[in-house]
Amino acid sequence: MTLKVLAVDDSKTIRMIVKKAFKSYDCEVIEAENGKEGLETASKEKPDLIILDITMPVMTGPEMLEELKKDPGLMEIPVIMLTAESGKENVVQILKMGVKDYMVKPFKGEQLIERVTKVVTLESKQKEVEDTSNKYFSTVEDVQILALPQKLDRPVSVDIERHFRSKVEAMVNSGVKKFILDMSKIGGTNVTLIKLIITVIQICQKSGIGIRIVGTAALSDELKGFSETSEITVDLSIEDAKGAF
Amino acid sequence: MSDINAVDLRGFISGAMDEVFDTMLSMDIELADGGVQADVDGERIVGSVGFAGKAVGSVNIQVNEAFARSITAAMLGMEEDEIEGDEEIHDVIGELSNMVGGDLKSRLCDGGLDCELSIPSITTGSDFRMEIKGWERHENLIFRHQEQFALVDVYVKTNG
Repeated sequence: MTLKVLAVDDSKTIRMIVKKAFKSYDCEVIEAENGKEGLETASKEKPDLIILDITMPVMTGPEMLEELKKDPGLMEIPVIMLTAESGKENVVQILKMGVKDYMVKPFKGEQLIERVTKVVTLESKQKEVEDTSNKYFSTVEDVQILALPQKLDRPVSVDIERHFRSKVEAMVNSGVKKFILDMSKIGGTNVTLIKLIITVIQICQKSGIGIRIVGTAALSDELKGFSETSEITVDLSIEDAKGAF
Repeated sequence: MSDINAVDLRGFISGAMDEVFDTMLSMDIELADGGVQADVDGERIVGSVGFAGKAVGSVNIQVNEAFARSITAAMLGMEEDEIEGDEEIHDVIGELSNMVGGDLKSRLCDGGLDCELSIPSITTGSDFRMEIKGWERHENLIFRHQEQFALVDVYVKTNG
């Protein structure tokens, strides 16, 4: 059953980060900008979990929490408090409020999820995550190939880089020394792509893995326009790249 | 540590900036060497938080517009051209100053200098100068990420 999470924070940034943290799970994340709105939304939506900031205008987190505890229909909803202050006194105060747990900013999405899983059961969309790895990576004979998609945005790049690092570790352990970065599907260059190319090249060099890059002539010209990639040789096909090793 | 002069302001701010940039932005930053002239020129954004109590002061983080956009894209996990408007950028820079200021506030409180944090504020423009008066301690730190700079100013005094 889809878990309903209410994120209450006056910072849209934090609400977006919380929403992103739950992306891989069977969750619906609802948002509120302050404690008053949070209370109204909680009454209407009856969330399974509330992620609640402390310092907010109109009604603070502690004030909202106090109201929640007075309402028989809402008092049992578990609350995880968010705070920018890690001091001992602050932590003690938070725990005295009767929350299930707290999270100090800055935090990574995975850290929040780790806290959440101690309070509620999260059902992951794990299959989608694993498919990502198989979607971009393949092995042909003794060559590992990473085929980038037509559009590379930051979330996809972060995901690919994560899988790539695991693949390199496996390659080093198994003695596979040939890697092809296939950019033949890439529609156009952007900063995210350039950063990923540099990262891939650096990791391969550091791991002693030979790397060839495959792409179109147009892409090769575009890469020459960036100082970081101007020296890169681009092969026009996988076969050319394999032959060049 | 009730003596404000004994507080390792540079160490605390440096640690907080490292943690925020690493955790939320996956960006490496380094404290630039002394003597670096880092001009944050053109359109600039300053995120500020104040604190008041036994310690009084403010933390101001200044970046140029281009770096602010990079930071916003990194924080929100999007491309820069997907940023909808200034509101998102201002919110991110405000939250950045909130986290760095929050960490400093916690350390001051743990050291006996109890204080409360203000909500963040944002100042933008290209032709302005910020001046804080009456401080006992002022630290100016310059952080570099590739060719971009973040200037952090901390002003503190004890109250009473």
